[in-house]
Amino acid sequence: MLIVEDNELVTGALRILFEETGRRVTVAHSVAEAVVAGEKDPPDLLLLDLTLPDGSGLDVAQSLAKRGVKPKATVALTGRDDPASIEECHEAGVTAVMVKPVPTRELLKRTKEWLS
Amino acid sequence: MSMAGTTPHSGTSHGSLESRFAALEVAYKQAVADIADMRARDGLKTQFLANISHDLRTPLTAVITHAEILRDGMLGPLNERQLESIRGIIAGGRQLLDQVGEILTYARGAANQLTLTPSSFSIAEVVSQVTRLNESLISKKRLGLDVHVAADLPPLFADREKVAHILGNLFGNAIDFTPAGGRVWINANSTTRDGSRGGGTRGEDLLVEVGDTGIGISAEHHRFIFEEFAQVDASASRQHHGTGLGLTIAQKLVELHGGRIWVESELGRGSRFYFTIPYPEDTQ
Repeated sequence: MLIVEDNELVTGALRILFEETGRRVTVAHSVAEAVVAGEKDPPDLLLLDLTLPDGSGLDVAQSLAKRGVKPKATVALTGRDDPASIEECHEAGVTAVMVKPVPTRELLKRTKEWLS
Repeated sequence: MSMAGTTPHSGTSHGSLESRFAALEVAYKQAVADIADMRARDGLKTQFLANISHDLRTPLTAVITHAEILRDGMLGPLNERQLESIRGIIAGGRQLLDQVGEILTYARGAANQLTLTPSSFSIAEVVSQVTRLNESLISKKRLGLDVHVAADLPPLFADREKVAHILGNLFGNAIDFTPAGGRVWINANSTTRDGSRGGGTRGEDLLVEVGDTGIGISAEHHRFIFEEFAQVDASASRQHHGTGLGLTIAQKLVELHGGRIWVESELGRGSRFYFTIPYPEDTQ
């Protein structure tokens, strides 16, 4: 799975969470980094923060799709819970929108569902 | 200002009047400019609050996620004392998160950026959700709880999350401001706009009462308890903590739905908060 999030405290926590449950995790901190990483090692699950230093997380999904990389699930993991941001994610065709912080048990359960 | 003793054609008075008008005009222009400047600064402060609240969520996510990883034994088993400590970190983190959420809602409300996402739902479900969330606090303070939701209430068409937020804030206050052994309650009925009871037909409102036998609020304080940052006892040694935004937010969310909110209370005799949410026009 590819986690795209600019805050290293958050990626650090998510990396431990997913690696301890047997997932192979790649982390990117910007749109550019994520596109390179996703093309090199296409993920089954793309976890996207929306606010990145060089653009929106949704740009990552779009750029990867153009390069033929289509994960099983693309999930927006965002701190923004206003209706406009959530609508924007749905319009971009994401599988789910989760508002941070998602309880870890729920995140693990949903991950299993997305990847099944 | 008295004009006694002046004549309209007196040169000195005329000059004096002109200079007074000129001075007033300058003062007026300055006041207009000052107000515009203060409004702009207030807007910037509100935006700052919204941004900082959002940014606080990110590190909190890291703290809570790490603690949950430990709690669930993913990095090895913990003894009971360690587990208790980790649970404390999670509870504290979530409490902080709720407070940050309150500030964010307040900032959005102040900037008129709150929007409604209406759906059809039963108020009984929301009442039950809010009471369930507060169960442990109620039992810790040994409070009596009475809940009465009229059986014939039609479904609401409103923003479910925001109605739960209003009720949660009022009920949270009721619990917080009631000494151990007291009583809190929630009643939900229909009301016609002139205040008498009805069956939830066209033009009627849902009326919710949140009451308690707590410390109460004196009449002179009723008019400002809905103002932001107001707690009747604002001293540093006050017993009741919180952002002081709960009632302001409740009022904003009620008004966003086209409803009303008010309080009936006396010092030492408990409080009863009421709010209404209009039913949709085509109900029934």
